[in-house]
Amino acid sequence: MKALYNYLKEVAFAFVSLANGLLLTLKYFVTPWKSIITENYPDNRNNPSVADEFAGEVILIHDENNEHKCTACTLCQLACPNNSIQIISKQVETEDGKKKKVLDKWVYHLEMCTFCKQCIDACPQDAIKMTNSYELSCFDRSTLTKILNQPGSKLKEKPKVTAKVQE
Amino acid sequence: MISMIQFSDVLAWIHQLLSSCMAPWLVFIIELVVASVAAVVALLVCVIIMVYMERKVAGHMQLRHGPNRVGWHGVCQLFADIIKLLLKECFTPTRADKLLFVVAPVLSLCVSLLALAPISWGPGLVLWNTNIGVLFVTAISSMGVIGILMAGWSSNNKYALMGAMRSGAQIVSYELSAGLSIVAIVALAGTLNTGGIIESQANGWWILKGHLPAFFAFIIYIIASTAECNRAPFDLAEAESELTAGYHTEYSGMQFGIFYLNEYINMGVVSMVASTLFLGGWQPFYLPFDFAWAHTFNDIMALKFMETWPAWISWVSLAWPLVWFFGKLFLIIFFMMWFRWTFPRLRIDQLLKLEWKYLLPLSIVNLVIIALLVVLGLHF
Amino acid sequence: MSASTIIFYILATLVVVFGALTVFSRKIFRAAISLLLSLTFVAGLYFLWDVDFIGALQIIIYVGGIIVLIIFSIFLTHHSGQKLPKAKVSKKLLSGTLAVAGLGFTTWVVSQFVFKPAVGVTPVEPNVHNIGLQMLNYSEYGYVFPFEVINILLLAALVGAIVIAIKKSQETEK
Ligand code: SF4
Ligand code: SF4
Repeated sequence: MKALYNYLKEVAFAFVSLANGLLLTLKYFVTPWKSIITENYPDNRNNPSVADEFAGEVILIHDENNEHKCTACTLCQLACPNNSIQIISKQVETEDGKKKKVLDKWVYHLEMCTFCKQCIDACPQDAIKMTNSYELSCFDRSTLTKILNQPGSKLKEKPKVTAKVQE
Repeated sequence: MISMIQFSDVLAWIHQLLSSCMAPWLVFIIELVVASVAAVVALLVCVIIMVYMERKVAGHMQLRHGPNRVGWHGVCQLFADIIKLLLKECFTPTRADKLLFVVAPVLSLCVSLLALAPISWGPGLVLWNTNIGVLFVTAISSMGVIGILMAGWSSNNKYALMGAMRSGAQIVSYELSAGLSIVAIVALAGTLNTGGIIESQANGWWILKGHLPAFFAFIIYIIASTAECNRAPFDLAEAESELTAGYHTEYSGMQFGIFYLNEYINMGVVSMVASTLFLGGWQPFYLPFDFAWAHTFNDIMALKFMETWPAWISWVSLAWPLVWFFGKLFLIIFFMMWFRWTFPRLRIDQLLKLEWKYLLPLSIVNLVIIALLVVLGLHF
Repeated sequence: MSASTIIFYILATLVVVFGALTVFSRKIFRAAISLLLSLTFVAGLYFLWDVDFIGALQIIIYVGGIIVLIIFSIFLTHHSGQKLPKAKVSKKLLSGTLAVAGLGFTTWVVSQFVFKPAVGVTPVEPNVHNIGLQMLNYSEYGYVFPFEVINILLLAALVGAIVIAIKKSQETEK
């Protein structure tokens, strides 16, 4: 008896949960003006509505003084599954005579990037971000290899943190 | 529809017209050809509407627009697709069994068109008025699997073979519960003839007159027939994500087009049978209650008020049963599309479990209850 | 010759031709399909003789059931695109003789039988209603006894199949 009861209960539950799904899709079907999320892409090219989270091309953030935050630590290069990042660094001498590694070229191979956002997550300095550009096709493959640091840009100096005495 | 022009009158008139100027055997052949071509053309027009409808329903249920480029809201998309399919090469793999490979789509098309024969489209509008109507449709739909098995074997491709085997297992098992729910209505109506079943619903459709068991039979039939048509959520035979395209993996061009067409023809036939059995075929809606307002409603539905109108207007009433017939047809087709775009595909073990552990026992119990209803005379 | 005679001969030829192809084809799936067509044309003969119910059952049982099972077992045991090995001459001779003997015997029996038109018997309309009544008729010449015997046979087969299927799973559990 118990088994029969359970059996019938199972059938009834199945119907209820199927009906839930059916009602949802019916709602989408009868209110297309509310539910459709497709963009009429080539038609609305002039004012596209792209979500802020949309992951497009990777860029290195530069501020108004042409300074970026990349310390050439190559963590993003290691994180990239597709080898689309090459960090080329050089040694420079600072005023106080110390040798220091700074960024020379931030090479980005757009043709190999899958827009997975792992480099962004890996970067400890938040130096890079993804724009939401999506019209990335071009006629010449070589234009897809980009150098992201602008000419003459340099590392942004961190505000000097005065070592606090441990309390 | 009393005292108004009937289809049988129109048909008799055409028959007389033809007989007056031709030999009887010629008349017979012409009528045979014209009637079958008319049925096939009507079905093909339905298929065109169905394909457009499916793509729009699919789009809107998945938060998309569906086709909207070719013509107004994409209405001409299908014709563009057909032209594309016609222009493509029908490719036959070298290691395939060429004869069977070519025959398979044609055979399955013939089989599914055969099932049209005993369908009653309107009062007196039936190609083959036989006393085994519904049984014949069941028999033919059990033949439908042969084309798929043939396609799967002759392609000499493991995906195709697996798809064909799945579809065989599926169709053989779901036929049982589809058959049992058909038997339930046959027990209520007391005949297998499609026209007879529809006429028995002049005072209310079986889904209303047969109480809850008839409603359950309807649900079981819809589920089982969706499975028999190999449509999602039961589309294991072609399961794109596992078997590329299942039994028609190797087909291209119009040979693929025929399989595609076939799916929709099967859907149309199944919906016609469902509307014949449960929703009264071409009978207009009828409330089986004994109230004054219900009588008025029923009279309006049966176009009683047109009887006093001049004869030429009552020609319009000829179309009335057809409106109901096709309306119900598309209602049931909409249900099947709704299922397809809502539910995920079942696994093969889930599919067989659903049939053997749930649908079959439930439909047997349901049949027993219906038999009791009929014996005790409890239905309306 | 009337149209129905012509159709009869066409159908009969097709039945025989596809029956022969079933035996002679060396591609096993083609043999199965020929058997299917042969059985379908037998159903066609039934439809020609206006015994629609039997015709429909022929299709449901033989085409939809048995042939599909045969095709299934072919799927499970053979490779697509392979030919069967040629049969031995002794085998060919033996089965050929048996077939010819069977044909001869049947022809002899049929030729011995005197066909005479039935007199004083009202023919029964072979529609579903009458067949159903006759099937469950327990008065004289009713078929309820064979009907029930076949029921029990099928039930036994069903239970047997279930027993065979269940035994395996219990063994694996232990
Ligand atoms: S988004 Fe992914 S693939 Fe592209 S550069 Fe970053 S880590 Fe590499
Ligand atoms: S972008 Fe970030 S992770 Fe990459 S090298 Fe520069 S600081 Fe390191």
